[in-house]
Amino acid sequence: MLIATKPIGHFPALLIFALMASLALACVTHRTTAERIKYAAWSFFLFVAIAVGIAWAMYPFSR
Amino acid sequence: MNEASARETRVAEAPAKPNSSAIFIVVAAWIVPGMGHLLLRRWGRAIVFFIAVGGLAVTGYLLRGNIFPPRGGDAFSTLGFLADAGSGVFYYFARFFEAAGPDVSRAAGDYGTRFIAAAGVVNLISVCDAYEIATRRRS
Repeated sequence: MLIATKPIGHFPALLIFALMASLALACVTHRTTAERIKYAAWSFFLFVAIAVGIAWAMYPFSR
Repeated sequence: MNEASARETRVAEAPAKPNSSAIFIVVAAWIVPGMGHLLLRRWGRAIVFFIAVGGLAVTGYLLRGNIFPPRGGDAFSTLGFLADAGSGVFYYFARFFEAAGPDVSRAAGDYGTRFIAAAGVVNLISVCDAYEIATRRRS
């Protein structure tokens, strides 16, 4: 094995996905740096907030 | 505005036809995420796309997501392969990062499968962006 497989928790995985997707979408959809930063921050927040919201909504049915 | 200047304006605004350099940039952008933007001297975007695609792909491999082979046998596997192969060189480094093989018996492995596919899709978006810059359809 060349690289050890480390377990990554669900929440860190969510943060990584939200960050990477937000950065890429901000670069594609906006032109100036200020607009990109603003869009990336807002997109990141929405990714995380909606995911946590859905998780809480699903919690009563999870067991 | 007279007819000549109007024509010049139309020519200046018209997107250039794809030439061999645009095709080269598309291929380079697909093989190495961000390389197309690097060749076009869009340093910031090149770094962001490399980090975004690489981060998603490597995280997917560490989560032990499923990597679809070229000949999967059904339409879903073929679509999965197309999405995975979109990440270019990261798809071919999959065995390096995921030497233990996929494990989709856990939720994390299933998430990893989506991460790997998302990396490919993000890279395909970056390829389209590089193509549009190369053909002067956007700055």
